[in-house]
Amino acid sequence: MRGDEMTTQTTNQILRTEMDEETRKRMRMHKIRNFFKSMFSHAIINFIGLFFLVPFLWMLLTAFKSSQDVFHTPPRWLPYDNVFVDVNGEQLPLYNVQTENGLKQLAAVKIVEGVGTFVDPANPGQQMEYEIQQGATKIAEPILHVSFKWQNFPDAMERGSRPGIGASFWVYFRNSLIIAFFSIVGTLFSNTPVAYAFARLKFPGRDILFVIILATMMLPFQVTMIPIYLFFNDFLGWGNTFLPLIIPTFFANAYDVFLLRQFFRTIPEEMCDAARVDGASEWQIFTRIVLPLSVPVLATVTVFTFLWAWNDFTGPLLFLTSPKNFTMALGLQDFQSQRSMIWNQLMAAATVFTVPIVIAFFFAQKTFIQGIKLTGSKE
Amino acid sequence: MEELQIKRKWTWPPRLPKWSHSDRLNFRTGMLFLLPWTIGFLAFTLYPMVASFYYSFTIYHPRLPNEWIGLQNYVNLWNDKLFWQALSNTLYMVAIGVPLTLLASFFCAVLLNLKVRGQSIYRVIYFLPSIVPTVASTILWLWILNPQTGILNTLLGHIGIQGPNWMSNPNWSKPGLILLGMWGMGSTIVIYLSGLQDVPISLLEAAELDGASWWQRLWNITVPMVSPITLFNLITGVIAQFQYFAQAYVFRGFQALGYPLNSTLFYSVYLYQNGFLWLKMGYASAMAWVLFIIILICTVLLLKVSERFTYYAG
Amino acid sequence: MHKQLYNLISVFVLASMLLASCGGGGQQAASTEPEVLRVWIQWGDNPQQIQELFDKYTAISGIKVEVTAPLEEDKILPSLTGSEPPDVLVLSGGDLVKSYAKEGLVTELSDIIKTGGIDLNDFFEAPLRQCKSGDQILCLPWGTDMYALFWNKDMFEAAGLDPEIPPKTMEELAEFADKMTVRDADGKLTQVGFLPDQGWDHSDLYVRMFGGFWYSEDGTQMTANSQPMIDSLTWQQQFYTKYNADDVLALSAGWADAYMSADYPFYTGKMAMYVDGEWMTGPNFINAFKPEASYGVAPFPPPADHPERANTAVVQGTVAVIPAGAKNKDASAKLLAWMMSPEIVAEEFCFNANLPTSKKAATDPCFTENPKFKVFTDLMSSPNATIIVTTPISLEFNDAYGVVLERAVHNGEDPKSLLDDLQAEFEPKLQEALK
Repeated sequence: MRGDEMTTQTTNQILRTEMDEETRKRMRMHKIRNFFKSMFSHAIINFIGLFFLVPFLWMLLTAFKSSQDVFHTPPRWLPYDNVFVDVNGEQLPLYNVQTENGLKQLAAVKIVEGVGTFVDPANPGQQMEYEIQQGATKIAEPILHVSFKWQNFPDAMERGSRPGIGASFWVYFRNSLIIAFFSIVGTLFSNTPVAYAFARLKFPGRDILFVIILATMMLPFQVTMIPIYLFFNDFLGWGNTFLPLIIPTFFANAYDVFLLRQFFRTIPEEMCDAARVDGASEWQIFTRIVLPLSVPVLATVTVFTFLWAWNDFTGPLLFLTSPKNFTMALGLQDFQSQRSMIWNQLMAAATVFTVPIVIAFFFAQKTFIQGIKLTGSKE
Repeated sequence: MEELQIKRKWTWPPRLPKWSHSDRLNFRTGMLFLLPWTIGFLAFTLYPMVASFYYSFTIYHPRLPNEWIGLQNYVNLWNDKLFWQALSNTLYMVAIGVPLTLLASFFCAVLLNLKVRGQSIYRVIYFLPSIVPTVASTILWLWILNPQTGILNTLLGHIGIQGPNWMSNPNWSKPGLILLGMWGMGSTIVIYLSGLQDVPISLLEAAELDGASWWQRLWNITVPMVSPITLFNLITGVIAQFQYFAQAYVFRGFQALGYPLNSTLFYSVYLYQNGFLWLKMGYASAMAWVLFIIILICTVLLLKVSERFTYYAG
Repeated sequence: MHKQLYNLISVFVLASMLLASCGGGGQQAASTEPEVLRVWIQWGDNPQQIQELFDKYTAISGIKVEVTAPLEEDKILPSLTGSEPPDVLVLSGGDLVKSYAKEGLVTELSDIIKTGGIDLNDFFEAPLRQCKSGDQILCLPWGTDMYALFWNKDMFEAAGLDPEIPPKTMEELAEFADKMTVRDADGKLTQVGFLPDQGWDHSDLYVRMFGGFWYSEDGTQMTANSQPMIDSLTWQQQFYTKYNADDVLALSAGWADAYMSADYPFYTGKMAMYVDGEWMTGPNFINAFKPEASYGVAPFPPPADHPERANTAVVQGTVAVIPAGAKNKDASAKLLAWMMSPEIVAEEFCFNANLPTSKKAATDPCFTENPKFKVFTDLMSSPNATIIVTTPISLEFNDAYGVVLERAVHNGEDPKSLLDDLQAEFEPKLQEALK
């Protein structure tokens, strides 16, 4: 560990002054041991790093695979696709066909019920028919090469989870963005005053209420889920709209209140007191002093809320029924449940789903980590 | 805090403390600031809690009035084999999954704290999967865990291990889900990492000079110093794991909920099945309240037990 | 202070109004002439084509029809009980309709049939039977399905069997399956000959082949632990236990998810025979995903000691219901009548390769052109064609039976004791529900 390395340096300095054979030997052993220790730690870090990296890479690589490749056993890393050849202006896939004259490379015009119609690309006039497979022997096999099928991305996004009904992944993406945006607005609007009240205002009952808020963190969502579902769906008739997902964010939640309160308490009391002495109202102190100083934590809350809303699955599952209103999370699950197993497009859609978060993370790296630390490390 | 304590003297019969003018003013201001939370609490917490409590004593009918049946739902729950299966599935994840993941995160944080070249890249790699959205990562792992064509079993095969049937064998479906959960533990690693970096180097140096080994330093200094983090993550992890739903819902693909053989029928999955598939919303409400009580008990137990093990510096 | 508070509230109100406006579809004005009708269909072989079909209704009526297909199972009940149920709901099977009727979720259709001019005599008897409960008509069949045995000709050839001749008895089927269940050099299974429950459970077919069902014919008694039920489970078990269930499950993991893709094991040489429906012979499945596949289809064979049960097949089909909470029953009724007209039935099910439920529609030559599809039309008119008996507890029973099936067939447990438990649990429930 860091502390470890530094003490080793100081120890070395001390030892160098009084040298004898014994000490020198011990120093060498020490160095060798350290070398192996660092090799070992490197190895473990890499090995565990692979656990995290490989699935991620797999997702990305699969997004580029063609349909030839998707369920290949054993699974291949790189994406392969058909080799196409131009025959009379049409792109036809090339096959290795066992003909009467030996193995030939022929282009397939069409394949119906196990019989393929082939032409020789050099001699496109003559069509030949061959069975694709006789018993266990494959007569005609497609020729493949490494190829990144970028087309998967627009294809997947256009297709959506149910092709042809006007609900593409672009629509899902847009829906997710709308919900995320309004969730952020609602969260910022509602949690900041509440957190400020608990951080800096003094009023009777404040601590009891804060304990109640903390207690609600322990409430499983299942306890409130069914009445809320019935309330929104049956009573208000807001089923299949975004409202049941967005409206609750306008009414504060324990986690963000907690997070913001932690931060507000670090704002020097003197500034607020000085303003109070000057006759400012609490609201003015809040909006003119505390909020401007809180931009970092507000950024954190924004990023966290975005992450939560983007990720949310149970809410959309309960309330959104028609595919036009699906979010990306729901759309991805819908795609997978359609039993169509188009893994390459599914992974392409999943990648597009992940990309905004990754971008947000890289832009807001510091605030992200800061926010996680604020929730986790301090009681 | 002090001022309020002085004012509140408990007497019998209890009398509300008299509020001064400034108290009243402060209260009004406070309440106005708290308005969003107050309305939200009444509408989205208190009302649903009361309502679901009421439902738990009825049979829910969508188009006819609810039938009051008293404690019958709870009695049925007690006799329901699937309820106990769901509870045991969830307890498995709570008792095994949460501590295992915490341990693994701590281990990874220790690794990431070592002075190795390229450490910042490693940190990004360890963290990135945790921000992959849940649905996407579950679907991805559905493929990774496929016993015939998934890379996990293929890689295991390269080193001579016959990978188990992660998806159709009821003994391996939960471990598969735990693996999925561990893949996304990046945020816990980051929390531990910041905790590790807060451990005073002077303490560690002194210990090393005294002849303490790496392991002794870890166990006797580092672990106690990050114990508040451990406690916090343990409690939040347990509470979250009791509500485990989305991954299980997506993981079963096109099979029935809980496939294989009800091994992935977690508490909230069974609750959802009762409420939304079979429209037994009264029964589902009873399940929800039982869950709440179980969570409360677990949290209190954890807090009590942890008092002896948590060390707060300073 | 107050001014800012009021500003805040007004911003909030404005935001809510904005949200309500871009909150997506789902609402409709409850006027006498609705602008949009919603049809939800549980199956979804080709959602685009179905939408095009319903656009024809828009052409003649001026009302836009929004089709949502397919539907997940857990959306069906909420859709029926919510405040915005669809105007017409098409279910994949009629076995749950009585359960829904018990809760008052579906509209009784006798009046609508009269006023809409729907000719009940035009429906084939078997599919209509699943919609009748006493004198009440709870649903109308719309396309029907039957199941038969599909086999992969290439795999037959590779195993030394004549690719044109399917097994003639259930025992022969097991023998053929044995020849086509192959392991590689490492002992790993690379293909199976037959999976009895691939896709979904076909116990209804097998138990009919063994001469029984889990209800009595009139639906008043539970016969879950009768001998035919035990035989059906025992027969299905062998395809897993003979080859080590774990290995079979490992091979078949994820197969159910590949149903609508080119990687379905039937197409990729991993499964030689299985039971499936008539839609496979149409444009949406084999021809769409794997035109190279060389396959055959024939009626499922009877047991060797009961040749008189040849050509037994179970008629089940999709049914259309009008939810009890539908906002505009008149408009729903008109749409339903249009859906049931012989021309529309002929058009939709010619394209989709399903069996027509209307006698007039069945005269369309498209149903007999395709020799593979003709297998099914012949089965439908076979004297041994039977139906699924349904009761108000079908919903719960089916789920419980699913677990029993898994335990018996995948886990190798004793069918008799599992079925005895099932019988003990559900016989009283059935009697209770029938009161």
